[in-house]
Amino acid sequence: MSETGSQDQPDDAMVDLLVKQVTEGLSPAEQRALDVLDSALASEHLREFERAAAAITLAAPVQALPPSLRARLEEQAQIHAASATHVRSLRPTGTAAAKARRVSRSGAAGWFAAAACLLLALFGWFRSPPSSVAPTADIHVTVPPATMPPVPAPKEPPTAAEERATLLAKTESRKITLGATKDPAAAGVTGDVVWDPATQKGFLHFVGLAPNDPQVHQYQLWIFDGGRDKRYPVDGGVFNVPANSGEVVIPIHAELPIVKLAAFAVTIEKPGGVVVSSRDHVIVLGTAG
Amino acid sequence: MQSISPSVLQRIASGEPAAVRECIDEYGALVWSLARRLSRTPSDAEDATQEIFLDIWRSAGRFDATQGSDKVFIAMIARRRLIDRLRKTTSEPAMEPVEVLESVAWSDPGTGSETSLEAAQAARALQELRPEQRQVLELGLLHGLSQSEIAARLGMPLGTVKSFMRRGLIKVREFLNLDAKSVSERV
Repeated sequence: MSETGSQDQPDDAMVDLLVKQVTEGLSPAEQRALDVLDSALASEHLREFERAAAAITLAAPVQALPPSLRARLEEQAQIHAASATHVRSLRPTGTAAAKARRVSRSGAAGWFAAAACLLLALFGWFRSPPSSVAPTADIHVTVPPATMPPVPAPKEPPTAAEERATLLAKTESRKITLGATKDPAAAGVTGDVVWDPATQKGFLHFVGLAPNDPQVHQYQLWIFDGGRDKRYPVDGGVFNVPANSGEVVIPIHAELPIVKLAAFAVTIEKPGGVVVSSRDHVIVLGTAG
Repeated sequence: MQSISPSVLQRIASGEPAAVRECIDEYGALVWSLARRLSRTPSDAEDATQEIFLDIWRSAGRFDATQGSDKVFIAMIARRRLIDRLRKTTSEPAMEPVEVLESVAWSDPGTGSETSLEAAQAARALQELRPEQRQVLELGLLHGLSQSEIAARLGMPLGTVKSFMRRGLIKVREFLNLDAKSVSERV
């Protein structure tokens, strides 16, 4: 981390880019400009600038966590701990995993009663964009590895389709059919979602979804959680459909834990995705009720 | 800097379930404060806080106590996430009026109000900067204003804002590295 690790010093252009990266982030063009510079030198100095910026922010006063947010975080912690336990143990028998499943299933009875309300809520979501911002898009957090069943590791990593099939075979997983909307881009599209609430892992599966140019637009998944404000679905990340791919399977990377799975939707958005969807192009919808 | 007993992050990395919850107790206020300052609405800050804690728990294995304190590690993760979120909402209106931005104060060095060794070092470095340089850092780092927004708000040339930001960060960096060297020399 110290400068003694390198005799080379970054030039002004690199320093300007690094300072901008740690203070406000880089545009795609600026990121490309940084990428062509000495990556080892940039990484070393980027970390030092990040550390300096973080230290500065620590010198400012802090305010207490709101109780309602603390409660949500504690629920999230419970799910994370259960998921981690599930990952570490090939045969999870701990109470944490079971409790997490209970948490995710605790509203199951209510889902049926809420199904009609949900459809109305979804209709409202697509008709009127919320005035506030929704969860962020595009940072794909690393899914914990080793969620495979207790079989010898294959020589090649499993494909998304194989992982989906494995997940589908689990009794805990759920399969939700996605219905195409009247959007022209949705014509002829069929699909489904396989989702495991215990591991928070899932896969989208489409047949007939049109290939996209990632420089022009991307598909974005939204996950509706019955435990959250219906106006703010959880961002499920952006994805692409390559040319000549009649059938695609896409891993889901939810930005937040889904406590009470309610519905999925896919929209067409600008490259990188959006925080708030304009809902101009909703392609598919599926409810978990 | 290095504690005898494992930190909360190290315990999370080793798979101790209780540590995940303790992490909220220990760093909830820090993460929430960062999120509140660098988010445009309270609702957005709450979502950001949840995402940041997920990042922290998943990244705990990468924490290296020899490279800095746990608070700095967490603040670095939080800032990366918050900056990414801010970049995605650039079309949204500005977060807070300027009079609110001006109300936040830095810690005074040596008062013991800083939350870590690095914070104390940063506070000392900030004291060596001119007030207008500190203001640029405050608007950029505490309130998430872009360099262009700072220039417009303070009526400063953009080049001056860039220069202040750059010198301020380099100054703090020097303080952090000086202390790190003096510590390593004593060991």
